[in-house]
Amino acid sequence: MITTDELQINIGPQHPSTHGVFRMLITVDGETVVNLEPVFGYLHRNHEQLAEVNTYLQNMPYTDRLDYFNSMANNHAYALAVEKLAGIEVPERAEYIRVLMVELTRILNHAGAVGFMINDMGAWQTPLAFGIREREKILDLFELVSGARMMCNYFRFGGVVRDLPDDFIPRLKKLMVAMPAYIDELERLLRENEILLARSEGIGILPREVAVSYGVTGPVLRGSGIAYDIRKAEPYSIYDRFDFDVPVGSVGDVYDRFLVRIEEMRQSRRILEQIIEQLPDASGGHINPKARQNVRPPVGDAYARIESPKGELGFYLVSDGSTKPYRYKVRAPSFINLTPLGDMCRGYKVADIVVILGSIDIVMGEVDR
Amino acid sequence: MYDVVDFILNTQLGLNSPDWVVMLISHLIVVAILFAIAPVQVLFLTYYERRAIARMQDRVGPNRVGYEGLLQPIADGVKMFTKEDIVPVSADQRVHLLAPIVTAAPVMYMFAVLPWGPNMIAVDLPTGLLFFFAISSISTVGLLMAGWASNNKFALLGAMRAVAQVVSYEIPALLSLLFAVMLTGSMSLMAIVEAQSGLFISTTDVPNIPDLGLGWFVFTPVGFLAFVCFFIAALAEGERTPFDIPEADSEIVAGYMTEYSGMKFALFYLAQYILNFLLCAITATIFFGGWQGPGIAWLVSQSLSADNPAGNPVYNVLAGMLGTFYLLAKTYAFFFVMVALRGAFPRLRIDQLMNFGWKFLIPLTMINILSAALWIAITRWGTAQGFGIIEFAGEPSNLVRWLIAFAVTLVINVAAYWFLARLNIQDHVARQAALAAGGLAVSPPRSA
Repeated sequence: MITTDELQINIGPQHPSTHGVFRMLITVDGETVVNLEPVFGYLHRNHEQLAEVNTYLQNMPYTDRLDYFNSMANNHAYALAVEKLAGIEVPERAEYIRVLMVELTRILNHAGAVGFMINDMGAWQTPLAFGIREREKILDLFELVSGARMMCNYFRFGGVVRDLPDDFIPRLKKLMVAMPAYIDELERLLRENEILLARSEGIGILPREVAVSYGVTGPVLRGSGIAYDIRKAEPYSIYDRFDFDVPVGSVGDVYDRFLVRIEEMRQSRRILEQIIEQLPDASGGHINPKARQNVRPPVGDAYARIESPKGELGFYLVSDGSTKPYRYKVRAPSFINLTPLGDMCRGYKVADIVVILGSIDIVMGEVDR
Repeated sequence: MYDVVDFILNTQLGLNSPDWVVMLISHLIVVAILFAIAPVQVLFLTYYERRAIARMQDRVGPNRVGYEGLLQPIADGVKMFTKEDIVPVSADQRVHLLAPIVTAAPVMYMFAVLPWGPNMIAVDLPTGLLFFFAISSISTVGLLMAGWASNNKFALLGAMRAVAQVVSYEIPALLSLLFAVMLTGSMSLMAIVEAQSGLFISTTDVPNIPDLGLGWFVFTPVGFLAFVCFFIAALAEGERTPFDIPEADSEIVAGYMTEYSGMKFALFYLAQYILNFLLCAITATIFFGGWQGPGIAWLVSQSLSADNPAGNPVYNVLAGMLGTFYLLAKTYAFFFVMVALRGAFPRLRIDQLMNFGWKFLIPLTMINILSAALWIAITRWGTAQGFGIIEFAGEPSNLVRWLIAFAVTLVINVAAYWFLARLNIQDHVARQAALAAGGLAVSPPRSA
């Protein structure tokens, strides 16, 4: 009688597919995963503590570094929190510019997430090149408005740091014309490829109840079939003015998460179209002239949350009346979405782990802070 | 080669050297060419692959070292030589050292039976095909040694995957090649290539038409199905995308190579590329006529040999060069397919790979052997090896026999493919239904 034993393997912290320094302690029976324990904290850099010794404005560039794919969305959530705390009004045009930037961010994040997920399946970078092709053009637009491609630091309390340049809207319109074909192409990449289907259908199923009990948000939750989107559930900024749908999956597997992301890119494009139509002229100003940037909010606390491309991104701030936050807490979607990884991977093969991890779409900068 | 050496030594120089000297010199020349040139041109496959994939990904690829980066493989080699050779403390030192040698040495032997042109072969073994695959299996042992000796869990997992994969896919690979052995009645690769002369009509001849060297086995339904099956199995044997599971870099880093560095790593790399090259070459040899092609037959008829002492030895050399050119052109074309697949597809999972091999490929190749038997029986109708039961009124022409055989085997092979594909799709449909019902259809979770 041959006896077999279970094998414990550390995937990470240095591993090509863990999207940063992340460790998964897996127990395998042959190729089948018996248990998986996510271990994080390798990228901890004292983000929240550092924020407490900086002024409110000094923290704005730090938020860029949380989820470095979506610096605009991070800026938005932080600006909303400080504005709530200090009671700052935002002019109409600035609101539109902000939503414009965040929706562009959503498109580039989802394109990248899909590309990286297929890369994790073993495709040798070509699908990734498809994914980041349009992302580059969006980053060009970001560079145009903020001077930086990734660490934009574009938002300010009461608006945005500078108005849109003259050639921004024409370039955006040009991008929007090419976008539907691009999104269709990205979708065909999965829908019409037998191997991709075999690798994603029925893999990493996250049932609705489990998803809710873990507090998962974003495309991962919607892939499990729950139409929860903060833009609809608790409209912030000016999202109540736009017409868009919330796509949901049915099974909650990797395939559903992929399709939800593709559909969200289309919906973001719809929002962008409405923004271009409704964008007020520059007479309203891009920033509230009465808003002081060296803000000194009254004593109190505030929590502001947005639907970041990865899920619910929230900033909780406590003010003691000084120029620095007394407490600064980030509710990072990647971190919360990562916790059910063990439940999602159990029973599948070793090769599925990296695909499931890729389908959650995490950025370690946000998980560990 | 023997004839040319004999001509130069005895006829031109008048040395009157004995037979064994001529034999020794001609073999030494062939061996020197094979072992000096063959591995070097394989080095350039890495360059070829990197440039081709770069084109697919809208990049330039290596273009710094030498003209258009042509010296990049040399630079890589120099770098590998200067790398520190790291052996893990907990590794089994001797096995760790032996593993790359055991992996790389056998694939070099495989060159010995590969025919490069008319009369250009190092050893024309009567069992060349068997030798080729028997030798290639030995390098699998090296992979297992590497995985086990590294004392690394990724390496062990990779080695286990490699062995499971190579062992399962050797069966369909060999089964799909059996038809060529049945058609030619020989396992010698030279005989298999020589059988593919003539026109598109394989194994039969039409009088009064010059030999164009196009009677490739792939132009028959049997050969075509065998070619598709073999090439898929070759992808798995050579660990190429979509079957690069043993060294899946996004899962188990580099599989059995994880703990290797420097020249030992380079040896694994070299062995793998030589194996890929040889698998492409054997595909070209068995299905696409190897060195056969238009012009070869004419050059051979003009050249010096025992049957044709008036021939000119220049034609021997020309025939050899043209044959080598045809073989390399076909081989590089197949290697390009491998590269394009790598640039386009993600990889399968190990259980999906096994399902595909055992449930689809092996039954299909077995049915193909049945077709091959029918092909032989019909094309040799009326002869001792063919159907003797039903006699034609009068002798059917070769073309008629060939057309009947083509139709019969085509029907059988298409039906077999359709049936097996249906069977495997039913799995897929059942899984879809189970998924729609909300259940887990694959790998139900265990309680930890």
